[in-house]
Amino acid sequence: MDRLREKVRNLLQSGKVAGYLGYIMKDGHPLPHLFTPERPEEVDQAIVAPDTARYPLDKLLQQLAAGYPEATFAIQVRGCDERGLNELYKWGQLDPEKVVLVGVACTQNQADYCECPGPWPSVIDSGVKCEPVTRSRRVDRIDALEGQAAFQEWLEAFNRCIKCYGCRDVCPMCFCKECALEHPDLMSTGKVPPDSIFQLVRAIHMAGRCIDCGLCEENCPADIPLRVLYKKGNALVKELFGYDTGSPESGPSPWKNLGDESTMATKPM
Amino acid sequence: MAAKEFEPKIIGFFCNWCTYAGADLAGVSRLQYPPNIRVIRVMCSGTVSPHHVLRAFQKGADGVLIGGCHIGDCHYLRGNFMTIKRMRFLQDLLKFTGFEDGRLHLEWISAAEGPKFAQVVRDFTEKIRQMGPSRLKQAPQAA
Repeated sequence: MDRLREKVRNLLQSGKVAGYLGYIMKDGHPLPHLFTPERPEEVDQAIVAPDTARYPLDKLLQQLAAGYPEATFAIQVRGCDERGLNELYKWGQLDPEKVVLVGVACTQNQADYCECPGPWPSVIDSGVKCEPVTRSRRVDRIDALEGQAAFQEWLEAFNRCIKCYGCRDVCPMCFCKECALEHPDLMSTGKVPPDSIFQLVRAIHMAGRCIDCGLCEENCPADIPLRVLYKKGNALVKELFGYDTGSPESGPSPWKNLGDESTMATKPM
Repeated sequence: MAAKEFEPKIIGFFCNWCTYAGADLAGVSRLQYPPNIRVIRVMCSGTVSPHHVLRAFQKGADGVLIGGCHIGDCHYLRGNFMTIKRMRFLQDLLKFTGFEDGRLHLEWISAAEGPKFAQVVRDFTEKIRQMGPSRLKQAPQAA
């Protein structure tokens, strides 16, 4: 914690950044907060967010960057937040030159809960690396189900949906100005639960983009296992196109890039 | 009244330059194929979004057939590169959620392949007939 505060203090004092987007403890609640050079005393209350408190800082950073396009901001990142930033750079939503990372490694508990394959960022200013989880048991369980059983399970989950759009609104990767989920030609309007394809449409948009932060699932009032769906989407993107979502080395997204040749074969009927 | 035999509803998204012309050829050659298919002409199979396929299933389609030019023959050079990426992904995602992936089929049919077109439509219709109505349609809430 001290190491992190020291780094933030230095960044703010040197004028390298216009602000640091991190967490503060206010009245016993950890909340996202923008620390600025004008109020250096606040840095003493800067904290590493505990496991149970996570907010879409990437999303807040996009709003900040839109409001202050010339300014550089520092941001507290976990492994997932950094993957998100990498994707956002690729999709032209943020400028990598204008972001400074303050990295936090997740605890083993958190990594196990998330089944996270990369629970630390490239820069670590707090915490130590823990064991990554390479296989998701939740995805494997659904994979092992026979078709009809899987369908029943998903349909039951989808029918709990109250169409609050919480999954989309909290998602740091959902930056579109117009949303297919609200398009009357693509999605029926005025009914709850929504069309059964509602979550599938979102899953398609999340493939190769979801950075597996899990905020959608935590936010969902109906406990729909969204994370399982998006984890599978990313696994498929990796299997079919060799694209590692959120990695700076994996090149442009397969959905953005036609490619110079196509070697995929159609499935036989 | 006796229960009607199940007649599948199939939506076809065919590209203007190859498969739609192939369908034309099948027509003028007087080849027979089942009337269960409802054809939607698109300028390129690469313009068919997964949204359209999912929407078709939601609205009660039992099968969706996508037809495009062979790889390398795309009128827009590389449009069908995207078609196959999208459809392969969608097939696997549908399978994961327990929706039969065989109900979505992608076939490359050129403008010269009238007999192939008729054969594909015959085979696909027969396959969907065997599979029965789509699970999404049978679900209590859906449709």
